Amino acid sequence: MTVKVEVIEGGIPHQKIMIAGLVSTLVCLYLTYLNVLTNTEMFAFFGGLAVVTALIWGSHTIKVLCSYGIGTGVPSAGMIAFGSGVIAMLYATKFGMAAPIVATILAAVIGFILGYVSNNILNMKIPAMVQALTEMAVVGALTLMGFAALMTGGFTFEGLTTSEVSMLGISISTTQNSFIGGALIAVAFLLGAIAIQHPFNATLGPGWKQDRMLMLTAECGFLSMIVAAFMSFALISMGAAIISLIVGIVGWAYTYNQYICLSKRDAAAWLDAKPIPDVEGH
Amino acid sequence: MEQIVFGIGITALTGALATIAGSAEDTESNIGSQGDPNSQVQLAPQMGFVHRIFNKAVAGEPPAYGLWCALGAGLAWSFMAMQVNAVLAIVLGCVLAVFVQGVYATTAYLGRTASLAKFGQPVYVDVLKSMTSVTMAHAFIAIFCVVTLCHLINGALGHPFPLPLLGLIWGIALGAAGSATGNPYYGKERQYQNQKFGAGVPISASGNIVRYAEAGERNSLDNGWFTAKIGGSASGVCFGLIVFLEIWRTVLFEQVSAGWGAIVVGILMILVFTVIDRYIEVWARKNYGPYTEVKEASS
Amino acid sequence: MSAVAAKPQAGGAMNPTAMAVGAVMIIIILALCWYVSPGAGLMALVGVIVGGVLIGFGTHFVPVGGAPAAMGQAPGIATGVAMLAAGAGLAGLFGGAWAAEQGLLIATITGGVGGGLMMAITCMMVNFVYVFGMGIPAASGKVANDPITGDSQKEFKSQGTEGHGLPFVSFVGGVIGGFLGGAGGTIIYLELLGLYESTLPATMKMLPAQVMPIAVAAAGIFAVGLFLVNAVLTAYNITGTIEGPHDPKFKRWPRAIVASAVASALCGFLAILIVAM
Repeated sequence: MTVKVEVIEGGIPHQKIMIAGLVSTLVCLYLTYLNVLTNTEMFAFFGGLAVVTALIWGSHTIKVLCSYGIGTGVPSAGMIAFGSGVIAMLYATKFGMAAPIVATILAAVIGFILGYVSNNILNMKIPAMVQALTEMAVVGALTLMGFAALMTGGFTFEGLTTSEVSMLGISISTTQNSFIGGALIAVAFLLGAIAIQHPFNATLGPGWKQDRMLMLTAECGFLSMIVAAFMSFALISMGAAIISLIVGIVGWAYTYNQYICLSKRDAAAWLDAKPIPDVEGH
Repeated sequence: MEQIVFGIGITALTGALATIAGSAEDTESNIGSQGDPNSQVQLAPQMGFVHRIFNKAVAGEPPAYGLWCALGAGLAWSFMAMQVNAVLAIVLGCVLAVFVQGVYATTAYLGRTASLAKFGQPVYVDVLKSMTSVTMAHAFIAIFCVVTLCHLINGALGHPFPLPLLGLIWGIALGAAGSATGNPYYGKERQYQNQKFGAGVPISASGNIVRYAEAGERNSLDNGWFTAKIGGSASGVCFGLIVFLEIWRTVLFEQVSAGWGAIVVGILMILVFTVIDRYIEVWARKNYGPYTEVKEASS
Repeated sequence: MSAVAAKPQAGGAMNPTAMAVGAVMIIIILALCWYVSPGAGLMALVGVIVGGVLIGFGTHFVPVGGAPAAMGQAPGIATGVAMLAAGAGLAGLFGGAWAAEQGLLIATITGGVGGGLMMAITCMMVNFVYVFGMGIPAASGKVANDPITGDSQKEFKSQGTEGHGLPFVSFVGGVIGGFLGGAGGTIIYLELLGLYESTLPATMKMLPAQVMPIAVAAAGIFAVGLFLVNAVLTAYNITGTIEGPHDPKFKRWPRAIVASAVASALCGFLAILIVAM
């Protein structure tokens, strides 16, 4: 794949990434539903994989949007994506098995309206704004759903708001020790919001390359999966949490290593303890 | 009565923790060159000024610290839900949060610098190796203090929000306060030390940051010492005052006049700070004097 | 960061058609809510819209200078506008949530005072660092005389810059912005909390005491999410930096009111649907 080294262009077209991201995220989310069919929690790690694929899609959307110079900087795009996504996601969890699809549709509606508001009422008039905000709201909702599935084993409202706690040998259901009750959703919110905007924010510049940015997105996704797996120890069985943790660590180690190799490939020079080189005139 | 005394004691402790957190946060963000001053570190190579400063482009300080503190709090909450001792839970949570912070810092430096390859800015691996552990250490202090004060607010003072949500709130507030207070000091005084003291940086000088230091080339570790001169302490005092006064007025006065007591005290505090600010502003105008002569207006 | 495609100038112009469409959208959402859940749901939605508008409007007051402010080239605080407003508002929400049992009015004002107090301290310390740490007095670049104190600004502006620090009007603007943001966030939180506390026990078939953690956390995260959405929309409106209420960009506030109202109505409606359907 030849990548043009021009301003901020090149690589796989955005449409392809969007479709691939949407499909693989939904597939991974539904794979966690195997938990319900097999009555275990072992498939929770698919939630983490859903997070990774959704973030890859979302970071490319942010790149498309912010290339237009919106004037406020990249992190705010991540914030608005997740701010609108969390509301869609929470409502969608009431729909049982159809939750991911409902979340997608609802978030798309919210994102579309927010995009219309930004472009027309706030007069930003950026060509890609409406589509970008629509996509980002969907990414936000699906990423949060992925985190929920990773940490609790499912994406239904009951699963997110209650959990079993055993006291003196009797198992009772409690709301305080749950994904929503314990506000772990707030941690997932910020994990996703930073992870979605970091890849473009950290690789922007004249030497931007698509494969390096997407590899960084995967690395951020797996890193978030590691800490989310640690948090899931409190909510799902030890075995399932350990599987998520191992998948996260292996995925992170691989993508981090690849990212360093790609940075080495792209850097002007890879120096260790050398002085500032003499550039003419300075 | 006992309730109030206990409350005041906890309040004092949270105030102290907040002060340390604010100071550590500002030092950490200046060592990594995070936030708005980072635009100059990014701009310098494009103007031909290659440097050895750590280019830590991880969002701005408020969202970044919101994440580290929420993460530390969330992990601590999870460990506590597994019946781990509270202190150990907080320490473990903060260690994991700092690990995430360190990884983000390294990827940011590698990413931004590799994208500046066109201007000849090399990736300095030794900068990466030496700076990362220092910035992680300072971040640990800040995160630990914030998660501990959140735990105190939730556990000892009885705030309804669960720990991770409190971590998010105070993390973003910490980043906002530390960034507001510390950024101009680092951006103007340290990065543009060669400009005249006592005036802003003229737009024509953008990108011409200081790259050579007392011995050899300027590196970001020196910025930690520099921040400790006044920026760090000012940020610490700022965030410490915010946390302390907010909790103090609630603990002492919320029962007075069914809640109006705390409101009145809050408004009085705002007025006090307004007076102090006005005094500072007038003092500066009188003592520093204008840059140019006041032109005689025709009206 | 270079722009790939040419973007037409946003400017301060208003778009009457779009504003009308926005108003119609708000009415439609209010009607839908009345249909689904008249009474408690509709009241909560109105509260959320009011809160969101307060946040959006309040953020216009906060003086933000962005990257140039970090070099003493522009007046204002050197942080992003969305996150600075969020920081102040969330500190206010913290105080307001604590006072939740004392009633809507007291809790809202407490939240506002909390946000205003945070901004007062922060703005004071910013000036402190500028004056005593950097030797730079405050000066505005947009007006010749400070609207509140009458101080002349031009001769205190260093050469080659647009101003620096926080002139008194910016300080007052910051405090007002923090107050409105904290109050707005608290209203959103209290309305949703009240709604969830009264309806979740029936929906989830649990005791009210059991439902409390869910209600508090869900209302809290909604408040945070709505906060960020409204603050970012305001940031888009002012294109990133504003000196305070005296800045000409401040006149763009009507657009932001409509935008915040639409966004808050939409998100609030969904938040209410969780318990209404």
